[in-house]
Amino acid sequence: MLHYILRRLFLMVPTLIGMTLVLFAVVRFAPGLTTGGGAFGAGGQMRNQQARAAAEQAVKKRLHLVDAQGHDIWLPMQYIYWLNDTLHGDFGESVQYNLPVATLLKERIPVTLSINLVVAFIVYLLAIPGGMLASVKRGKSFDLFWGFGTLALFSLPIMWVGSMEIGFLANPQYLDWFPAAGIHSTNTMWMTFAQYVKDYLWHIVLPISCLSYGGLAFISKLKRAAMLDNLGQDYVRTARAKGLSELTIVTRHVFRNSLLPMITIFAGLIPGLLGGAVVTETMFSIKGMGELMLTAVFSRDLPIIQAEAFIGSVISLICLLITDICYALADPRVSYD
Amino acid sequence: MTETATPEPLPAVGEARLRTYWAVVWRRFNRGVLNRVARAWVLVLIALAVLVPFLANGSPYTAVLDGQHHYPLLRNLTRLDWLLLICGALVLAGALVHRQLVRRHAEVDELRSAQVRWLAAGLLVAAASAAGLFGFYHDYLDTRDYHALQRSGQLHEAVFAPLPWGYKDQEPLELDRTFAYPTREHFLGTDGNGRDALARLLWSSRVVLAIGLISEVIALVIGVIYGSLMGYFVGRVDILGMRFVEVVEAIPTLFLLITFVALYGRNLFMLMVIIGLTSWTGIARFVRAEFLRIRQLDYVAAAKAAGLPLRSILFRHMLPNGLTPVIVTFTFGVAGAVGSESVLSFLGIGVEPPTPSWGSMLNEAGNPAETFRWWLAIAPGLLIFLTVFAYNIIGEGLRDAIDPRLNKME
Repeated sequence: MLHYILRRLFLMVPTLIGMTLVLFAVVRFAPGLTTGGGAFGAGGQMRNQQARAAAEQAVKKRLHLVDAQGHDIWLPMQYIYWLNDTLHGDFGESVQYNLPVATLLKERIPVTLSINLVVAFIVYLLAIPGGMLASVKRGKSFDLFWGFGTLALFSLPIMWVGSMEIGFLANPQYLDWFPAAGIHSTNTMWMTFAQYVKDYLWHIVLPISCLSYGGLAFISKLKRAAMLDNLGQDYVRTARAKGLSELTIVTRHVFRNSLLPMITIFAGLIPGLLGGAVVTETMFSIKGMGELMLTAVFSRDLPIIQAEAFIGSVISLICLLITDICYALADPRVSYD
Repeated sequence: MTETATPEPLPAVGEARLRTYWAVVWRRFNRGVLNRVARAWVLVLIALAVLVPFLANGSPYTAVLDGQHHYPLLRNLTRLDWLLLICGALVLAGALVHRQLVRRHAEVDELRSAQVRWLAAGLLVAAASAAGLFGFYHDYLDTRDYHALQRSGQLHEAVFAPLPWGYKDQEPLELDRTFAYPTREHFLGTDGNGRDALARLLWSSRVVLAIGLISEVIALVIGVIYGSLMGYFVGRVDILGMRFVEVVEAIPTLFLLITFVALYGRNLFMLMVIIGLTSWTGIARFVRAEFLRIRQLDYVAAAKAAGLPLRSILFRHMLPNGLTPVIVTFTFGVAGAVGSESVLSFLGIGVEPPTPSWGSMLNEAGNPAETFRWWLAIAPGLLIFLTVFAYNIIGEGLRDAIDPRLNKME
């Protein structure tokens, strides 16, 4: 098993390198990378020509475009320097917060990831029974209704649902049931742990409801297909012949055998959720990765944008790895060599 | 008296098309009511995008100004308006011609060659009119405010469009009609600049359709070329290529989009390219899978043995047979592109103002936590939903119509 994990890790290295190459190329070939008016406009107000040139030079040095003497660095070497920095956790300094990007990310990542994990859990919790029921009632009205309904939910824009929820459920004008911003009340200092958790849950009800309906369609459809595949198998006929009740067959035999594809989907779920986080976190003013990314775009804070894209990709890769390992654990047919 | 068996009715003229593969798929697609409704909605959107200058426009069709007859609406049509009108007319004519051709030609081969001839003629007309428009026609800069002229009594016999507002016509500031409730004049109220919300809603259909289709066409071109090369040259090319696809898929799409937008600017064209560049992987995967299947077939070996050039084997012989899953992925991709555009516009990094888009209109409705203007927020979101949903339904319907497993069940 350890051997298998190590091998998967080893196979991940080329993917990681390719990913860093893509990100590096996207950033490196952007127009106006070092000039004030382009992507690096934090010092846009500098009137002094000399000061602007000096600032540009400093940026170039930090991005490893030129060396200490001001000579241009060969492009592949630029990449290697950048990769070295990045892998050592040095993402540069945020222009807008005057803090190392790593420090900022350390605060933000847990917020986003914890919400996303809750969302993933809820999606599975709803989608699996729905998909099961749809497969059992194949072609009947529930199946059609569930397929249609989840497709409709999949098409529902997050920002619209968020607007409606905030506007009607978290607004003193209409119903003021939920908080409209943040994930904590301001007085968390005086709360017991139970109160703290309750406060947290109360805050994340709306963001989570926004994020979780979109994934239903995909997962329940997959569950339904896997169930249908299994329902046609011989062992189901054997079980029926044995005289097992339909309920037992479905819940104990077919259900378990059709769980495997559910694992693979997990890796595909997380990148989408990270994207959705940008919208929900912006709407609900949650200080997470997504919100950081968007504010960075508006203040043209390049180090943050670059680091976020990198971290987001690494998170998806890690999810991919976890998925593979879980799959190998769950399916005895996967060989470990 | 012996009973004669009633002979099979001869196939009516035009039945030929019903036996082609796509005709079968199309017929099966049309069997679903929802599929037809979704298709109708997309057609309505297309018609709206073409005809919107005549439906929602601040300039009157005709009016008397200073004792002279003017036709401001026609005069104010831009190149783009004309181009869309001409293309719309051509497509409509094409549909009619197609119907006639199908009636006239019973043989599929004859039908195809006639179709190709007509298509070439249509494309020629389109190209000629585009060249004419961009060579000789200039957009007319009309700064007159016809509503103000009418209020001051200088405009006579004015015939306005059904909705007398364009997407950037603002109510004068002194009237204080920003964020106004729906009234008889503005059916959906006005936005923060005093512009009619309904007019902007209608004009948005253009951006939404254009981004959805063009960005997906870009993705389609990249995906088909990439996927076909991978599927044809199995082995090292395939392995390396798939690694790259995995790399692109591992980067969260919205993060990649935001990075692109932040670095490379954000005009409409850039947006299409960027969305196209981030959404080709699914198409590439499907094309690859199809090509892996097709390359085993005998006719490909025959084409190779005949010494055909690679591009001919790939795109003339293999691609038409591997196109089926691509069309389904394409439709879902359009839905995704419309969604991406609206998310970006909502976040304020999509299309530039004053170009209206449903996403940015939702944004312009303001922060719902402070003053919630539901009359501005409901309609754009609903339209995004309906459009994305319609494309998704069409995608599902096409997939069900194409799926060979369903064939067997019949």
